Amino acid sequence: MRSRDGNRNLTFRLCSIILLCSLALNAGEYLISYRYTVKDAILYNEILHISHAMKKCEGKPQSELILENTSDGNLKKLISQNSEEFLNYIHKLGLHLKHKEKTLNLQNTSTTTLTMKTTCFKVDINDNFAKIAPLK
Amino acid sequence: MKYSILLAALLSASSLFGTDQIQTVDTRVIQQTNAELQLAIAEATLAKKEAAFAQSEAIQAKSALVREKAAFAQERADREEEAIEMANAAEAQAQAEAEAQAEAAAEAEEVLKANSTMYISVVGQGVAPMNTTSPAQAYALAKRAAIADAYRAIAEKVKGVRIDGQDLIKNMMVKRSTIRTSVRAMVRNANVVETTFKEGLCEVEMEIVISHSDFAQ
Repeated sequence: MRSRDGNRNLTFRLCSIILLCSLALNAGEYLISYRYTVKDAILYNEILHISHAMKKCEGKPQSELILENTSDGNLKKLISQNSEEFLNYIHKLGLHLKHKEKTLNLQNTSTTTLTMKTTCFKVDINDNFAKIAPLK
Repeated sequence: MKYSILLAALLSASSLFGTDQIQTVDTRVIQQTNAELQLAIAEATLAKKEAAFAQSEAIQAKSALVREKAAFAQERADREEEAIEMANAAEAQAQAEAEAQAEAAAEAEEVLKANSTMYISVVGQGVAPMNTTSPAQAYALAKRAAIADAYRAIAEKVKGVRIDGQDLIKNMMVKRSTIRTSVRAMVRNANVVETTFKEGLCEVEMEIVISHSDFAQ
């Protein structure tokens, strides 16, 4: 015959499992790429691609970014609401720089491209916060 | 027979008388020849003396020339030695100057050593486009451009620049002068320190701390 304490323990375990599952329900992996080009000291174009990963990514989460979740689990909305913060975070992660400058008859033109190649991010979205971390 | 003997005697006697006359002539010639010979001997003696004098003069001149040559050689050797000393001194001075310059350059240009970090600070400039909808958008776009410029400056400082130049000259005139520069790098952990926006120009001061381990292979 089971004691009351044992039943209570079982219930607590079940509840904690359900809670954890619900918390991780919105966890997913996203592929994000970013590129912007500056031509003659003027921003020429800027592209940020976000898409769900169709295959499971490999690697461990690295330095993470925590954003306040106010967008019901939509990552694109979340990033657009915190674009400045997210772009600073991407800059910190590292960008590939490609700069070309041409001086023709003493007239200078330049093109600088900063690129973050397509990287898989693990995104955990909870009720209040979203945790974004690249997998490497 | 008797007559013939007499005739022969007469002939021989006459021949004897003729011989005497001829001998007289020969004596004069011999005297003349002797005088010429004496003159020639005197001339030869004189010439011999002159030759001896010339020889002695030549020997003297030769010895003087040898002395002069030796003096010249000595002077030349001295000059060469002096030149070598001067060259050595100049070389030593140039070496010392080069070492001093290298030390000064090493002091001026900081070198990243093992187990050490280096702080690099740059300023990037960006301009807002003409067709912006608001000053805020202009500021944001100019700042983005300035950050890209600062990244470029960091990459140039850390990694270096590739430069290609080409001049086209036709009929002794420069038709086209082209300079191409390019940089490729990966920049991470750069921080924006200060941003200023004035009259459409945005300036961003950025800094990066690099360590030796960042470049470890």
